[in-house]
Amino acid sequence: MTRFAEWLSQTYLSIVIQNHNSWVIPTIQSIHIVAIGVVVGSVFMVDLRIMGWAGMDQTLRQTTNRFGPWLTGGLYVLLATGGLMVIGEPVRELVTVSFWIKMFLVAVGTLVATVFQISLRKYDQDWEERVCSRASTKWLAILTFLIWVAIIILGRLIAYDHVWGSWSPAQKA
Amino acid sequence: MDITTFLASLESSGIATGIRNSLYIFPLIESTHVFGLAMVFGTIAIIDFRLLGVASTRRSFRRMASDILKWTWAAFAVTAATGALMFITNAGVYYHNFFFRTKMVMLVLAGINMLVFELTAGRSIDRWDKEPLSPLIGRATAVLSLAIWISIIFLGRWIGFTTTRATPAPPPEINFDNIFPGTPDGTVPTAPPNTR
Repeated sequence: MTRFAEWLSQTYLSIVIQNHNSWVIPTIQSIHIVAIGVVVGSVFMVDLRIMGWAGMDQTLRQTTNRFGPWLTGGLYVLLATGGLMVIGEPVRELVTVSFWIKMFLVAVGTLVATVFQISLRKYDQDWEERVCSRASTKWLAILTFLIWVAIIILGRLIAYDHVWGSWSPAQKA
Repeated sequence: MDITTFLASLESSGIATGIRNSLYIFPLIESTHVFGLAMVFGTIAIIDFRLLGVASTRRSFRRMASDILKWTWAAFAVTAATGALMFITNAGVYYHNFFFRTKMVMLVLAGINMLVFELTAGRSIDRWDKEPLSPLIGRATAVLSLAIWISIIFLGRWIGFTTTRATPAPPPEINFDNIFPGTPDGTVPTAPPNTR
């Protein structure tokens, strides 16, 4: 991975970003955080609706119709800005344990959101009448939210990979 | 007490020293700060887009505000507390930082903008509660709110890039086995040489 990161850092786009890093990197990171706000806000509103703590004047379907597209759009922005950050600073990103745990959780979070939306579209009535009020569904809603919280925290910890001590590949370089 | 003495006393306080001496606390505070501000921005944006008639246009504004804004305030409390903790670790540097100062001005402007909304469109909610669009002044404050909060996020990131950290980078020999460093006399034990 270190070798791949070093190769990536020699590519044209990476060198362009590195040459303007004084403003390009902070700009990309700021856009990334704005998009995180949109994504975590959307997940939060759907989870609050499942918990029965907000949006009870709306059906679950109406709630996901409202926030689903923003979640998807936000994720695309995150993917694009995140990709640029990896290209611009490959070693800083790829040679950390925080980054890889984060990527794993992003995959889990995205999968859960996708399966949920497909299932809701298919079993609309079931969800509104039965599934949504189950305790297990509510626990899953809390867990999903915590996954996104962990993703945000791990994202910031990429800059502080030493917190993982000897688990961090950066410490061995 | 002048400001320099005050900032220095913040920096030398027990909490600030404790945070600086730990390799773990500052990163965790900063991560929590990012989580908090993402929640603040994410929830405020939902309200602003409602005011602008962009999204949630069929819902009662009053209902949405009572559903959402309590969470915004809770998240704001977390963000402000973690922000204050980061500030005291290196108060002198942050205080003189251009981006930090501008960010504080922006936070004040966000507050004023909110007051303007409450005193204008906020007083006539009964008239537009279920309308897709809020009055012009409501839309204006919503645009300003989005612009101010996005600028706060950018300014915050710029503070990180224009200040040196109070906590120095850890020595390369730092080891996970030393997760509880420190001896009674306050010195950090040296890790065994890395064999890899």
